[in-house]
Amino acid sequence: MNKFQRIREVIIAFLIILFSIILIANPDDGHVTIAAVLSTTMILAGLRQLFYYFTMARHMVGGMRILFRALITLDFGLLTFTVVDIPRFYVLLYLLVVHAFSGFIGILRGLEAKRFGSPSWRLIVLYGATVIILTIFCLIYVKSANMLVYYYCASLISSALVRLRTAFRKSAIVYIQ
Amino acid sequence: MNIDFHYYATYCAALLAGYTPEESLDICYSAQLVDLCSRTFLGKLKAPLSAATTQLQLELMECRTDMTGLQDITRIWASFHFLPADLYAVKEHCSKRYLNKYRLICGPNGDLLADTVNLAKNKGLQAAGIAMHILADTWAHRYFAGTPSLVINNTDYHFFELITEDGVVQERPVSFRHNPSAADDPKKGIYINSVSQNSENSIMNLGHGRAGHLPDYSFIRYKYLPAWGDFDEILKDNPSDFRHAFCQMIYALKYLRGEYELFEKDRYDEEAVSSFSDELHRILNKRQTDACEDWKALALHLDGHEPEPFDLTRYEEEYLSAEPEKKGSTFLGRFFQAAMAQKSMVTNKIFHSGNLLAGFSVDFDRKGFRGIEDFKQLIQYIKD
Repeated sequence: MNKFQRIREVIIAFLIILFSIILIANPDDGHVTIAAVLSTTMILAGLRQLFYYFTMARHMVGGMRILFRALITLDFGLLTFTVVDIPRFYVLLYLLVVHAFSGFIGILRGLEAKRFGSPSWRLIVLYGATVIILTIFCLIYVKSANMLVYYYCASLISSALVRLRTAFRKSAIVYIQ
Repeated sequence: MNIDFHYYATYCAALLAGYTPEESLDICYSAQLVDLCSRTFLGKLKAPLSAATTQLQLELMECRTDMTGLQDITRIWASFHFLPADLYAVKEHCSKRYLNKYRLICGPNGDLLADTVNLAKNKGLQAAGIAMHILADTWAHRYFAGTPSLVINNTDYHFFELITEDGVVQERPVSFRHNPSAADDPKKGIYINSVSQNSENSIMNLGHGRAGHLPDYSFIRYKYLPAWGDFDEILKDNPSDFRHAFCQMIYALKYLRGEYELFEKDRYDEEAVSSFSDELHRILNKRQTDACEDWKALALHLDGHEPEPFDLTRYEEEYLSAEPEKKGSTFLGRFFQAAMAQKSMVTNKIFHSGNLLAGFSVDFDRKGFRGIEDFKQLIQYIKD
């Protein structure tokens, strides 16, 4: 990464942490905020795909489907933006089930890593188990939207920390003639 | 290519180039190790992780495809398995972003191949083995890039195997399945490939994943539409490509032994195989996914005895029991240094072509040491 890219990563990480703190401080309308973030993400993703089509995928055999996907994503993003009153309970349940599944996959991967003799298998299993435990905890308190907001914020902060770590990591390769 | 070519065929090529059976075994061991030297393997040995020459499926599934993650993937796969044919390739009316990926398409006889073989000169049998792996893969993996890319590496339903029956060439559509634990079935024309993913940088779009293991089988001829090819069909003739790879390996190994002053691209030692040309043709065209037994038989014919089977743990104890300052002199230590030198060289060439897909490269001579610590041991290795 060059200096500009490192600075950009640090700024994005701090913005994410700031957003999480604000969300934790005002959790009551948290699920609405999360929905707004999701729709914004979809709109941005649609625009990004359009950019991807015009700069890259138009050269590709079968690249036209990227264009269609970009338009559909953009359309869904705009639609989601107009729908605020989603039945909260179902959204929460869906998010939690998906999360529990990712934890289960994490444990399976960890066990496979153990089979390969990788020293990192304990960390992977621990991650998977933590995700499942947290999901069960959230399911117990599923009626409380605040709990999910806290959980969402914790995930955001951890992703911001990973960005920070990446920004400060040495990544250049040395060439010795 | 698989163990049959990287281990047994490389052993035969080394013998034909004039190496002793013991030296040939070290060369082919190193050539095969390139497909197994993952971070998991290095972690077990507490060896420098920067020496990784491959990534296990599990490691790939776990790695992040952010900027640094992609650069790490590209360094490994472009340096050891998909050596770019032309870092300055021209394609009109396209963005720089597209061009950067397009220029990483692998192919034989590029400038980087000559750089790779020259880098291995006077650097021992481990470096020679690594160079032979890379050389052979430039033939098998041509038309695919060692970086995740939908727009370069994708394939679609237009994929046919050419089968000769009773002297008549027939086209059979290839059926791809996505079950990674299943085996290919050449009899029925069913092969395993990676799942179609519309994300540009998905790990499923790395190298020849979308074409399954077809590029690795010597017997197969197929035609398809590569994503980058402007709807022009490509015919991949593996028996011919693998024969070229074998003859070029013999020539390159003779150069490394000092038989020639210069390494010339596009040069093949056909003469060395003339006495068993029909047998070579038979091995390369036999419809089988594992040709180890046939290559072993050829080695027996050439040398009088078969090479011992590949054993990943063969040199582990030597490395683990060596004093820290002497690890670099062990077999695996030399292999790791040669691997890092190769990665460092390819990354540097890609970086200086104005392409950042493999990340940043710092010239030690101009800027000193400003990079990953693991590479410090290269200073001594290059001087030796």
